[in-house]
Amino acid sequence: MDDIDAMFTDLLGEMDLLTQSLGQETVPPAPLPSTDKEVNYSIGYADLNESLNELEDCDLDALMADLVADLNATEEKFAAQKEVLKVPSLPPPDLPPPPKGLSTHPASSLASPASPASSTSSNVSTPASSTASPLPPPPPQVPKPTKEEMEANIKADKIKLALEKLKEAKVKKLVVKVLMNDGSSKTLMVDERQTVREVLDNLFEKTHCDCNVDWSLVETNPDLQLERTFEDHENLVEPLSAWTRDSENKVLFQERGEKYEVFKNPQNFYLWKKDKNALKDMKDKDKELLIQENFCGTSIIVPDLEGVMHLKEDGKKSWKPRLFQLRASGIYYVPKGKTKSSRDLICFVQFDNVNVYYGKDFKGKYKAPTDFCFFLKHPQIQKESQYIKYLCCDDAWSMNLWVTGIRIAKYGASLYENYKTAEKAAVSSVWTNRSSSTPSSSNPSTPSPTIKAKSPSQANGHAPKPQQGPVSVDFGNVPPPPPPPPLSVFPHPTPPLAAKSSSKPAAPQRHLPTNFPPPPPAMDLLPPPPPPPNEDDALEAPPDFLPPPPPAIGFGSLPPPPTFNSPPLPPPPVSFRGVDQSLPPPPPDPGFLPPPPPQPMFTGAGAPPPPPPPPPPAAVPRAAIRPSGSVKKMPPAPPKRTTPSLQGGDGGDFMSELMLAMNKKRVH
Amino acid sequence: MFSSVTVEDLGSDAPPVTLSVDSGLHVGGVILKLVEKTQIKRDWSDHALWWEQKQRWLLRTAWTLDKYGIHADARLVFMPQHKPLRLGLPNGITLRLRACFSSSVFQTVMGICRMLNIRHPEELSLLQPVEEKKKKKDKNSAEEIYDLTEVPLSSASRPCLYNGMPAHFADSPQMEAIYKMLSVTQPPPAPEVIAKQYRAASVVDKAHIHGRWLDSSRCLLQQGIQENSRLWLRFKYFAFYDMEPKYDVVRLTQLYEQARWAILLEDIDCTEEEMMLFGALQYHISKVSQSEPQMLSSSAAMDDLESALQSLEVKMEGESNDMSNVIVCFRPKRMTLKGYKQYWFKFQDTSISYFKSKEESIGEPIQQINLKGCEVAPDVNVTAQKFLIRLLIPAPEGMNEVYLRCENEQQYAQWMAGCRLASKGKSLADSSFQSEIQSIRSFLAMQKTSSGTHGNAPANDESINTHSLVSPRYHKKYKAKQLTPRILDAYQNVAQLSLTDAVMRFLQIWQALPDFGLSYVVVRFKGSRKDEVLGIGPNRLIRIDLAVGDVVKTWRYNNMKQWNVNWDIRQVAIEFEGNINIAFACVTADCKIVHEFIGGYIFMSTRSRAKSDTLNEELFHKLTGGHEAL
Repeated sequence: MDDIDAMFTDLLGEMDLLTQSLGQETVPPAPLPSTDKEVNYSIGYADLNESLNELEDCDLDALMADLVADLNATEEKFAAQKEVLKVPSLPPPDLPPPPKGLSTHPASSLASPASPASSTSSNVSTPASSTASPLPPPPPQVPKPTKEEMEANIKADKIKLALEKLKEAKVKKLVVKVLMNDGSSKTLMVDERQTVREVLDNLFEKTHCDCNVDWSLVETNPDLQLERTFEDHENLVEPLSAWTRDSENKVLFQERGEKYEVFKNPQNFYLWKKDKNALKDMKDKDKELLIQENFCGTSIIVPDLEGVMHLKEDGKKSWKPRLFQLRASGIYYVPKGKTKSSRDLICFVQFDNVNVYYGKDFKGKYKAPTDFCFFLKHPQIQKESQYIKYLCCDDAWSMNLWVTGIRIAKYGASLYENYKTAEKAAVSSVWTNRSSSTPSSSNPSTPSPTIKAKSPSQANGHAPKPQQGPVSVDFGNVPPPPPPPPLSVFPHPTPPLAAKSSSKPAAPQRHLPTNFPPPPPAMDLLPPPPPPPNEDDALEAPPDFLPPPPPAIGFGSLPPPPTFNSPPLPPPPVSFRGVDQSLPPPPPDPGFLPPPPPQPMFTGAGAPPPPPPPPPPAAVPRAAIRPSGSVKKMPPAPPKRTTPSLQGGDGGDFMSELMLAMNKKRVH
Repeated sequence: MFSSVTVEDLGSDAPPVTLSVDSGLHVGGVILKLVEKTQIKRDWSDHALWWEQKQRWLLRTAWTLDKYGIHADARLVFMPQHKPLRLGLPNGITLRLRACFSSSVFQTVMGICRMLNIRHPEELSLLQPVEEKKKKKDKNSAEEIYDLTEVPLSSASRPCLYNGMPAHFADSPQMEAIYKMLSVTQPPPAPEVIAKQYRAASVVDKAHIHGRWLDSSRCLLQQGIQENSRLWLRFKYFAFYDMEPKYDVVRLTQLYEQARWAILLEDIDCTEEEMMLFGALQYHISKVSQSEPQMLSSSAAMDDLESALQSLEVKMEGESNDMSNVIVCFRPKRMTLKGYKQYWFKFQDTSISYFKSKEESIGEPIQQINLKGCEVAPDVNVTAQKFLIRLLIPAPEGMNEVYLRCENEQQYAQWMAGCRLASKGKSLADSSFQSEIQSIRSFLAMQKTSSGTHGNAPANDESINTHSLVSPRYHKKYKAKQLTPRILDAYQNVAQLSLTDAVMRFLQIWQALPDFGLSYVVVRFKGSRKDEVLGIGPNRLIRIDLAVGDVVKTWRYNNMKQWNVNWDIRQVAIEFEGNINIAFACVTADCKIVHEFIGGYIFMSTRSRAKSDTLNEELFHKLTGGHEAL
């Protein structure tokens, strides 16, 4: 045990180092504009006070509970940890998280506010689960662990636990104002690890909308007159962090039909050259086949796009027509006087470092030939610049073709995974809505657990914690009075779990201490409920097909392409994520240093602690915050430019502001 | 009646053995008599009678001569059904093995694949090689031939694996070496080797090659393939089913080799950027496969833990050793001629900061630049001792251009590696830092050697001639040292991949190319007066106008209602939904080849996981056999 303790001491020292470097990171890079001198905690608000006051009561409660729970959690984590380690109990390794759509269920809503205990234990489980299975040594792999192995594993456990904690300490949280369609707004607390999908799920619960797949978070920037739908697998905080302090940018919650149109009507994208009337009444089966062909094979196929678009060249005012081609590796154009053969193509842009945006009213702004413009830019660019590549299409249809094609090339398989997850969320919402009409589920309690219930689950990908196990396992059966319909829908809650966890390998991966090989998440998470997805597939698969003998062979019911049911299904998502440089935007694995944003305007609650005092309490960054800031001072405006030593204080200010805001609310 | 039978094993000069037989005697009886007469004691079990005039095997031993329609004038040959074949593998290496000459090529390929441990043999077939007359003389002697003829035929039934390879490869070190050749990628070929290979210059050339596929429904002997002939084993149907790196080591390796050569010989077109990425992947694969002996890894989970712990260690020590205190020069944007100024630079996490001097480095930096998300490009000329790092740093207003000028190679490699990692959000503490430095240095080394020796020394593994990684077109377009930075540029995106992942990535990018998987035939459409090209892909047929070189029409198989071959006038007719009918005669290939391609792809699409291992041979034959199948 001695060396383990020694190791912990090391780690603590290590953490101190880390936190100090965090402080340095927050020094804004000088070449950047002066707009980022202040620390900002909120998006869409002029200042923090306003944002806090705008928080709904329940949100505020949740936020508060969240923070308090964090403090307790980290403290108790250490206390709990010894026991956990003594009993290297093997939690069912792959227990799926409670289904998203079901989180209104009382069972999961108990999660947070006043129960630090439960959040503690879930936190404890975090490290283990976030490392995607190997940790609680799954029985099959280690049949008879030797003593050394056991020790090694315990040690590894500890290390991972500590790593996780280090990460926790630096998790950034933003208060985000999201504009609704009706002009109202909702305010959310978004944790840097949360994906857009999770935020959407959160919003579904708050808004009681129909949860269809079109609901999206959209970013707008009035300076550039841009609009972009965030992809569901992206982490929301990252792009928001690129906004300038004074920006008028907004986040909208809207239905955007074009987001997943390619999966609803793939023929419009993959067979666009064909007669449009013929495409209209394409059979579902053929659509399915097209999706399988292009998204489920060993390689993602990008729609074969080619056409003349107008290009506004670097900094110039005029728009020039050019023949462009889309390939998996980027957009190319055919140089004047050359053929369209691949080797003559000139690369116009590759997608690694840029996102694609819709441009609004470019006819007016840039004298574009039409209003159907899109452009590509580095996500950090917020103002007009010669580094933005503007393109203008003849009509809305071809603009959508191009933008969607670029998204496919850039995001590949994640796009389809996102769609499937969104679909499942929509389906399970039907179920939830039904059950929520029954008296048992209490809406008031809903919003608060969401943050809590979610963040562990999203941090983990799945919840291996034993106590929670039964809850989530029994989920399908327990729900209070399951009305008849759910039964038929019942299968869905389960598949989503599997799909959910495996569909976003990115999330768990981000929390791995380093660059783990990608495969494990998908493969390891799959086992628990293996039958459902396969059965689904098998059902839709064409067992009806038995090729009649030649020479005349009827192909009315042609089978799907080979890839359809193909076993490599688990591997592709993993490997595709990287295909053709179309890596998903967030760096795959930031290592255990969540890298600082280039302009670290926002620092979360996890401000680092002062120097490294004696192990247990001091290792708890959040615990350190409380004494420093909890009730004392009146909140000054968000401090300017921080230095390491100030950091702790910032956290405190934030906390006290929060307390203040809460008190205000309560008084009213 | 009397029947004369040539017994091959007696030698070609030996006179035929004459037997007196009754036309009611069954074939088995003939063989018995024959063997008695030769008085040779040996294992005759693999032997069978071949009827030369009719070009057919008499394999049904219970059939009488009458039933076969054999008369006294029939020339029969008694010979083994399995004969040696010189088989060219996708990786360019020739293997000698015994293949079945009496069953359909489809089954022959199955046998070969079983022996080589390649799953899904239905995707492969045999191709008659392009003429190699000239090469034969000088090359044949030098060429190393791997011999597998000693492998007992019985062992090819169900390969049980030892150390991840079929039992027959575990017999001797020689056999193990052969398995290694099969399962490990070959080093990059010398540029001259690439340049010497036959390259199809046009679609028509390709069509001629694709017309050389053997007929799967007939046996080798029927197609004029003799003992010791040379054939190519290639992937024919580009619908790769159930790729599983764990079980498909040989399959993946050979597929990679085929893809690599397709790229190097411009059998499939790609853009320059794609070529550079392919080059980078090849470089990476060859590098990793030298250091990583086996593709098979023990246990994923344990590995995870291992690597987690390992990287933890690296991080712990790395953290304390931030790269700093190196002096570099710097030029902020805009051309202020001679704008380089010397500053004291410090690299920390993902940021660099600079100071007027080392002494001031304790205080506030003049500027701190976070490199996350920035673009890093090299601007290096080793001979001129120019080591520039060009940084494009994103900011709200656009990208800021910054140059760092390093003093020497060592410094450059370190800072370049740091910048690359930082641009991806990784700090110097990342475990890949050292390997990044290493690869940058080896690329620098490449630049040095290739400028000196002009690429004559083939790969002494540290320095690969970059011309080995790209098609000859780029040999002419760029000097090797000009290619180096471009490939290095692409390399940074793949440098972290494991061997298997890199191979998979290569294959994926290959499969994402627009022309991927197309086989061509020159055809004459009914009612048309000019030759056109039909492209046959895994999911579609395309019609290419030769004059324009453009795809004029696409038909997808899942809209196909039926297809027919009129074997008399050798015309293929296809009907699609919506009353679309096409018909064409084939110019560069037999229409059986076209028929087989279409039927084969339909077959490939019927494979499903449920049927798992058992290959539905009968169905394949039905779909591809043509009139023989009736």
